[in-house]
Amino acid sequence: MAMNTRLEEMKMRTRTGVHKDARQSNIIDIEAECIREELSMMQCVSRLTRRMCESERVIIQEDENIVFTRTHKHVPISFMTRQSGQQHSERIFHELGPISNICADWGMVLSQGLLQRKTMAEETLSHLENDPDAVEFLSAAIETIDAVLNLVKRYSVKAKQLGRNDIVTMLNHVPENPPRTFHEALQFIRFVHAIVWLSGHYHVGLGRFDQYMWPYLKDDLLEGRIDMKNAEDLLAEFFISLNKDSDLYPGVQQGDNGQTLMIGGITKEGLDGVNELTYMVLRVARDVAMIDPKINLRISKDTDLELLALAAELTRLGLGFPQYSNDDVVIPALNAHGYKLEDARNYTVAACWEFIIPGKGMEVVNIGAVSLPAAVDEGIRKVLSNNGTFEDIISCTADNIQLQVNNLVEHYRKLYLPPAPFYSVLMNGCLETGRDLSKGLDYNNFGIHGACTSNAVDVLAAVKRYVFDEKSVKPDSLIYALDNNFEHMEELRQRLSGNEFKVGNNNDYVDDFLISLLDIFADACEAVEDNGRGGCIRPGTGSAMYYVWLSKGQENMHEPVVGATADGRKAGDYFSANLAPSQGIKVKGPISVLQSFSKIHYSRIYNGGPITIELSDSVFRTEEDIMKVAMLIRTFARLGCQQLQLNTLNVEALKDARKHPEEYSNLIVRVWGWSGYFCELDEEYQDQIIARHIHLV
Amino acid sequence: MNNGIVFDIQEFSVHDGPGIRTTVFLKGCPSRCKWCHNPEGLRGEPEEITGPAGKRIAGKEYTAEELAAILNQQAEILTMNKGGVTFSGGEPLFQALFVSEVIDRLQGLHVLLDTHGYAEQKEFSLLAEKSDLIYFDLKLIASEAHQRWTGVDNKPILQNLKILSTQNKPPYVIRIPLVPGVTDTMQNMHDIADIIQKLKRGPERIELLPYNTAAGSKYSSCGLVFKPDFIESKDINIKLSIFNDCGIPVLVK
Repeated sequence: MAMNTRLEEMKMRTRTGVHKDARQSNIIDIEAECIREELSMMQCVSRLTRRMCESERVIIQEDENIVFTRTHKHVPISFMTRQSGQQHSERIFHELGPISNICADWGMVLSQGLLQRKTMAEETLSHLENDPDAVEFLSAAIETIDAVLNLVKRYSVKAKQLGRNDIVTMLNHVPENPPRTFHEALQFIRFVHAIVWLSGHYHVGLGRFDQYMWPYLKDDLLEGRIDMKNAEDLLAEFFISLNKDSDLYPGVQQGDNGQTLMIGGITKEGLDGVNELTYMVLRVARDVAMIDPKINLRISKDTDLELLALAAELTRLGLGFPQYSNDDVVIPALNAHGYKLEDARNYTVAACWEFIIPGKGMEVVNIGAVSLPAAVDEGIRKVLSNNGTFEDIISCTADNIQLQVNNLVEHYRKLYLPPAPFYSVLMNGCLETGRDLSKGLDYNNFGIHGACTSNAVDVLAAVKRYVFDEKSVKPDSLIYALDNNFEHMEELRQRLSGNEFKVGNNNDYVDDFLISLLDIFADACEAVEDNGRGGCIRPGTGSAMYYVWLSKGQENMHEPVVGATADGRKAGDYFSANLAPSQGIKVKGPISVLQSFSKIHYSRIYNGGPITIELSDSVFRTEEDIMKVAMLIRTFARLGCQQLQLNTLNVEALKDARKHPEEYSNLIVRVWGWSGYFCELDEEYQDQIIARHIHLV
Repeated sequence: MNNGIVFDIQEFSVHDGPGIRTTVFLKGCPSRCKWCHNPEGLRGEPEEITGPAGKRIAGKEYTAEELAAILNQQAEILTMNKGGVTFSGGEPLFQALFVSEVIDRLQGLHVLLDTHGYAEQKEFSLLAEKSDLIYFDLKLIASEAHQRWTGVDNKPILQNLKILSTQNKPPYVIRIPLVPGVTDTMQNMHDIADIIQKLKRGPERIELLPYNTAAGSKYSSCGLVFKPDFIESKDINIKLSIFNDCGIPVLVK
């Protein structure tokens, strides 16, 4: 176990939030200052970083070996909207405004240190002194570097007062200079990463952690400066520290903060990148058992079962990670769409699942969703009321998908990306060329998710089968049923919603629609030649909150809301999330689910969006069980699937399953020497299983 | 040509044998064990069951071709993961000819037969020959007690076990449900150990399956009443040492 008393106490303190007592609720009036001094947007943004750093309180807890605790509750970013409103009246923001959901080149920053980054900025400045934009940007970047270093200096002074000479030594060296040890590297990242958040950016991921950190750990181990136990101890503290401020991070729900961390996979050169740190990250994440960082694991058809078994142990905790992505599928797809091979091999994930390149991407991977249920719904309504053919439905659906894609892209042509001088320090080429990252990096694509795929596919399969093949449902009675939410037509609804002809059963009749619908979506994205920033549109299969929003509606949502659907789903019922069978559909099982979703042409659907499978934690109790889960994960890779989220149902979820059995029809729990469907057990026994699960925790 | 009735096909059934397996639950069982946890597997015909999630029909008719085709769809995956197909129930021997025809059509899949051995010798041998591994349930050795708690005579069961032990394959595992006050008595355990010791070819291992009070959880769904006639909550007597003389590994599952 990586945890000891010190770490357990630290974790407990973080959970109870003792450190929040030191938080400041005052909001810095950056706006007044910017107006008074007539600062440009670039200057406003660097001023924000500076003021935030200057006014941070210095907090060092007695037992900490890695320091920094954020005390500012709020980052005043509203000035961006107002300032930009004056300067760019036609432009729109993405989400909250500040640059988000990209990944820094942490390895580069570590290897150079902030001082060398500053020297680079100064050098470029001396070449480009006649370029006012470059001068402004580089000066702003330097201002932010100085601000960070000054904050670090204040931490160092405080550490000295507290007699923590170990911390003083460390802070006198990093993040100004490249780290000399694994410990210094962790401290370096802690500061710089936290200040990216503090600058108003969000969904700040940690990229390929085991790749850029391993050289420091390896050297320490070789030189005998550290042993594995102490390294785990430091890593555990680092992971706990990532949970300190996460309640302040913006997200749809608490915990939805996009603090991802990628491990595993091949190197830029195409070699196996798995190292001892890969394993250590999984062990420590398992033992720390907190929601951050969110571990992602890159695998391939040849990944060791031992590594997958360790990952399965982490899955077992029910935290919803690691999430798995398949190098065999992701890398060729990125490479086929304009990503250099060495960059494609270096992919990580954005906040949720989108594949991005650290240090080289200024991509907006989630400009919105295409509602696939809305597209097929429009198709069948238009065509069935005019006695059209099934082919007409497909072509009408395709038109609607193209329209939805075009609308999103047109809207985002007005996208305004505010400058990000500090984030630019951490990227490739910005300081070298004097260009802020908001002006674009190597990759400038947009991503659109095709949301709620399974319901849309099930609708097509049901209409084809019952209206066209069997002719057992009349077109007008189907439309009438949809318009009236199946009121008094329960028999029809049940026929349409039958489990058999649904995606997730490895049934080609249905799965052919899965392939063709997503191909149509890919066609629509490929038809957009330029997204307005010199990039393309990447189609994906994530749903995020759309499985709720597209059904219930949401303020300011561009995507259309859909009522009852021809797969027997009633108005207001949730759609399917990501790549999972439709809600309430009992499919054959996880193998068939993988087989169904393996058929998608992932070479064209490459923005990401995981197959989502739920398992009860009772199916991995023994080492042998864990190994079987590892085999299931390897099967995912061997079948050529792209991304997998394996959820373990824990006590809370089991309780929820009792309240909403219709949403958990596939949930299997182990009862005795056997497994059963949780929702088919009597309540008292469900209680008992829940009680037993509590016992396990 | 025999059609079969199946009440469930469960994928990734991690507790039904080695590797990744798909388990076919065959409907219909000659026995009526008081502790049976799969009441929907008892009757031979399809029936409607009502759970909290709504009504559904338990039991679907398949031809051997249909069922084999479903299983073969996953053959590569199951084999790649050192698994295969498990036939369970109900009691697979209850539909022995059907199961045999299904096995004949499988594409090299590892077959595990999960049985309590109550069938005519001919039927038992038919499936035993075609299986790669057998999970053989032993419950009670005293014949009156067996009759009382399971509703059937145990002579054919013991006879089939003896026959299995005289063949040189397939390997088998003896599984003993530990039902408090019924099968877990010292007497019964000693009787079982005696029988195992006398077998010509012993099992790979012995598995003890402690009774879990959730056994009755599906009865009301099937319109049945669970009447265990024993004290469910009683402590279970687990004495591994009884099997010491058998020289066979014993596991508690």
